[in-house]
Amino acid sequence: MVASETAYPTREIEHMNTPESRHPAELGNGRTALLEARGLSKNYGATRALDSLDLAIAPGEVYCLLGPNGAGKTTTINLFLGFVAPTSGQALIAGLDVSTHDRETKQRIAYIPEQVMLYRNLSGLENLEYFAALGGKGALTPARLTDILVEAGLERSAVDQRVSEYSKGMRQKVGIAIAIAKEADALLLDEPTSGLDPQASNEFSELIERLKDRGVAVLMATHDLFRAKETGTRVGIMRYGRLVTELGTEEIGHADLERIYLKHMHD
Amino acid sequence: MTARSVLRNEWRLLMADRALRIVLGLFAVLLVYALANGVVWMRFQERTVEAVQTGNVERTRALADELAAIENGAEPASRFADPRAPNVMGGARGSHTAVLEPGPLTALAVGQSDLLPYYYDVNIYTNESSFHQNGEVENPLNLMVGRFDLTFVVIYLLPLLVLALSFNVLSEEREQGTLALTLSQPVSARRVVAAKLAFRALLLVGMVLAASLLGILVTGGFGSPGRVLLWCATVVTYALFWFVLAAWVNSLRRSSAWNATVLVGAWLVLVVVLPAAINIASGLLHPLPSRVQMVTAQREASNEAVNRRSELLARYLEDHPEMAGGVVAEEPGLGALAWAATDAVNRRLEEVTSEHDARRAEQIALVRRYRFLSPALLAQEVLIDAAGTGDARFAGFQSQVRAFAEQWREFFVPAILASEQMDASVLPDVPKFRLEDEEGADVARRAGVPLTVLGALLVLAGVGAGVGLGRVRGAD
Amino acid sequence: MRHIVRKEFTDVLRDGRFRWCAILVGALLLVSLGHGWAQARSAQQEHAAAQATARDHWESQGEKNPHSAAHYGIYAFKPRLALSFVDEGVDPYTGTSVWLEAHRQNDFLLRPAQDATAAQRIGALTAAQVLQHLVPLLIILLTFGALAGERERGTLRQLLATGIGRRELAVGKALGIAGALALLLVPAALVGAAALVVGSPGPAASPLARGVVLAGVYLAYFTAFLALSLAVSAWARSARTALVILLGVWVVNGLVAPRVAVDLSKWLHPTPSALEFARNVEREMASGVEDISRPDRAALTERLLAEHGVERVEDLPVNEVGVYLQESEEFGNRIFDRNYGALWDTFERQGVVHEALAVVAPLLAVRTLSMGLAGTDVEQHRHFATAAEAYRRDLMRRMNGDLAENSRTGDTYLAGPELWEETPPLEYAAPTLGWVLGNRILSILVLGTWLVGAVLAAAARVRRAEVG
Repeated sequence: MVASETAYPTREIEHMNTPESRHPAELGNGRTALLEARGLSKNYGATRALDSLDLAIAPGEVYCLLGPNGAGKTTTINLFLGFVAPTSGQALIAGLDVSTHDRETKQRIAYIPEQVMLYRNLSGLENLEYFAALGGKGALTPARLTDILVEAGLERSAVDQRVSEYSKGMRQKVGIAIAIAKEADALLLDEPTSGLDPQASNEFSELIERLKDRGVAVLMATHDLFRAKETGTRVGIMRYGRLVTELGTEEIGHADLERIYLKHMHD
Repeated sequence: MTARSVLRNEWRLLMADRALRIVLGLFAVLLVYALANGVVWMRFQERTVEAVQTGNVERTRALADELAAIENGAEPASRFADPRAPNVMGGARGSHTAVLEPGPLTALAVGQSDLLPYYYDVNIYTNESSFHQNGEVENPLNLMVGRFDLTFVVIYLLPLLVLALSFNVLSEEREQGTLALTLSQPVSARRVVAAKLAFRALLLVGMVLAASLLGILVTGGFGSPGRVLLWCATVVTYALFWFVLAAWVNSLRRSSAWNATVLVGAWLVLVVVLPAAINIASGLLHPLPSRVQMVTAQREASNEAVNRRSELLARYLEDHPEMAGGVVAEEPGLGALAWAATDAVNRRLEEVTSEHDARRAEQIALVRRYRFLSPALLAQEVLIDAAGTGDARFAGFQSQVRAFAEQWREFFVPAILASEQMDASVLPDVPKFRLEDEEGADVARRAGVPLTVLGALLVLAGVGAGVGLGRVRGAD
Repeated sequence: MRHIVRKEFTDVLRDGRFRWCAILVGALLLVSLGHGWAQARSAQQEHAAAQATARDHWESQGEKNPHSAAHYGIYAFKPRLALSFVDEGVDPYTGTSVWLEAHRQNDFLLRPAQDATAAQRIGALTAAQVLQHLVPLLIILLTFGALAGERERGTLRQLLATGIGRRELAVGKALGIAGALALLLVPAALVGAAALVVGSPGPAASPLARGVVLAGVYLAYFTAFLALSLAVSAWARSARTALVILLGVWVVNGLVAPRVAVDLSKWLHPTPSALEFARNVEREMASGVEDISRPDRAALTERLLAEHGVERVEDLPVNEVGVYLQESEEFGNRIFDRNYGALWDTFERQGVVHEALAVVAPLLAVRTLSMGLAGTDVEQHRHFATAAEAYRRDLMRRMNGDLAENSRTGDTYLAGPELWEETPPLEYAAPTLGWVLGNRILSILVLGTWLVGAVLAAAARVRRAEVG
């Protein structure tokens, strides 16, 4: 109902707890949402980390979650990963509830954490081989995996080096390669560009762009307003566990985004 | 798919870790060293057994030669050493040594075989005090410390290595940050940990079993497949217990340092402290009776017996009419009188001993209940029992020797009482000791309870680990 | 530095892990001391009672030929020495009694371990074992993070920035930890001393002096371990590395090296099999060996006749049988000395291998000294066995002498209770402290080297420790 109204860019989202106000799985343009949250909430003790989140992300869409530390961005991603169980509501991947379909949902998603941590004593290629196999792509040949690493932006010469010699950017690229190799339908990114230099960050955006063009649905938590504007198709701003604003990036300039963001932070 | 990928990844990780490679190499060296020690010890015992058997043949031959010479008119060396006298032929000169072959898997477990006697000279004078023997000549210091055999490696060192390889099986993944990436794949923490531990178990248990089978092959222990199977099953169960314990502790989602502390503590308590505490507690609650009093009782019995010979003979014949069989000489000879005294001493000794043994058996039964607390004690018990170097096999041997001594007396005593002389024709009929060694089934029956308890401990830890790991998520 | 000591002391005491470990070790120490004391006391009482009964049997054997009395013989029971409650040593593996009879030297029989089970063999725990195995582990747990941990947390940088020297820091930490340990060990030592004074379980030469030296030995051992742990903590890159290395040292020291010493000693100095040994003695007794030959009865008779200038043995002023029996006894003694002497010497050489291996495992030196001071080592077993054998020989000499002097060849001679009573009872004097320490120079040297080496290594490592 709400999403179908496409009230970008300035529609404010307030408490929407009534059942009929939830996002339907059907998006307005007839596409099925790959990542969907329905009234998703998470409490840690007395703290409400996430409060009734409703969200639907379609294939080919890049949804950027903005917000200060503790706003609930990582909690949202952890809920989609099934790493934490929701207090109420549902996280759905391709229509399947994460908490009841752990394996099926994980087969369809790829995850790149803020710090891609790998086995330091193995090479990038060996790490990729391992994680790809765990993801069900054990049949990929080393040559193909090498190509994927190169596609993800890693120097061909670095492929066989031990990860202990990698920079953070190189490790992030292996993380992307893992996601590419998995041919996942959806991608969950948790502050993927923090700590990357501008060039690496830029390369990263280009990769996301390419995945988007292949029809992957992307959920990216980030602090980087500029990146969000560049790569996102939609931006959600979170605060105190609530999604306070949703905007379409095509309709706003960078300066506007910063203004809107700061406005919500000072409310 | 998952299991294979994890195994392959683990192998790569392992090969990339130099310290671990060194440790594993060292473990292999220790295994071979332990095995070599065991094989040397088994060979030593086998040589002794052979010498004992040769001794039996030689003694019989010497007797036969002397009897033949006397037949041909020669005089016996002395009146007291006339081989025709039944108390000489059945006495020390003609004695037969009953011997216990080394346990089939002695090379893997020295067990009690360096402490308990494995052969006894049997003759008409064999009585309860004959079982007070020291067994093999061995430095008490070495007996105190114990051998570096495969059992020692399995009981003490294997768990340490298992823990060293597994204490951080999950916590390390979390600490280095790979856990989130791993669990974002369609795999469960349970499967990943199981596969990782399976890999380590294959490696370590494989090494130990390979060493065991090599030892069995070298010493020909495959003749007892039941024992081999029991040995292997115990090694596997015991090792898995430690792996699963490590998994359990890992599933509690604490740091690697915490896991290490807790697991080393568990090793210390289960392997070192509990067995010791059990022994102290049982020593306090159920002290074993001392043998010292037996020496005194034995002395008193013999003092009394010597003074009352004739009376004792009359009582002896009343008790054993079958021994007299109407052939007792009208005037009992010196031999008969002496025998009556000997028998009285023996019987008094048997009384004292059986009282002592009953108390001892009772107390050991009490003590043995406590062993269920320690997997190390359970595993050790089954391992040495499977090897044929445990207490039970030696006890069985001793009771067979007792029965054999009885058989021996039944052969010679009637002749002593009748003051008869014997000749070479009886030599082939003199009893020979035939060991009825315990069957694999006997050992398996004894091992049933301890092995089941060990298995139950394994399952218990496994359930704990399974439940705990089920709760593990990518983000904690 | 006072502050460091105090801080470290408080820190250790507040550490839950230390408290639990200390309670466990303390409880085990006290229980093993108590149990050892009660056991040693009852064993000693039993042995003393059995010894008295044996003497009673000897004295009340009635009228008898002295040689019959010699065959009857007497049992000797090994006394439990005063400090054996701290360290029972090899006592469970040596016999407790020996039959002293005519013609032969018997083995000590009734080894307590033979009556126990295999489980009791791996799980024996005495106060000495707690001190040798568990206290070092406690020291390791307290010390491995002393410097490596501070470096990891970054507090080392802060500490040294206050201007304190590294050495002061390390010494302060060591003293703090030592203080915490003292809370555990001093009461145990006092309990042990009280047990000695109030109710000494058995006899020993200068038990208190032995006890003081024993305490010194353990103090040196613990100090060496503390210094070694500090050195490793200063050297290791992380607290975890330090812990792994120190646990490795502990395993080698307490588990691997002692057993390797067993096999090494057997390999370097093999002992004969019991069968070989017995057959050897039997053969040599039957036909003599080298320059030891069986006494020739005919030659003896001739010699005696010539000496006394008579024609017939009946006219001799001595009983020829008594003289012959004594000569046989002396022949036998030489054979026994030869064989048992060689065996004991082999055991002693094997013991030296254990002592020498203390170069890699200080526990071996401490164990040797501890057993020596407690009077429960192989050497002191030999000391008693030698005393018992000397008593046997004296007894046989008296019996044969009485037979030879108080009867004539061919007589039926019976001696009476006076003879049994005038034979002195076996009085055993345990070796002095000097004797024990004199035997143990090697272990003292090795332990001293460990102590000095560990302290020097700690000093050097602390001086060079990285701040991180």
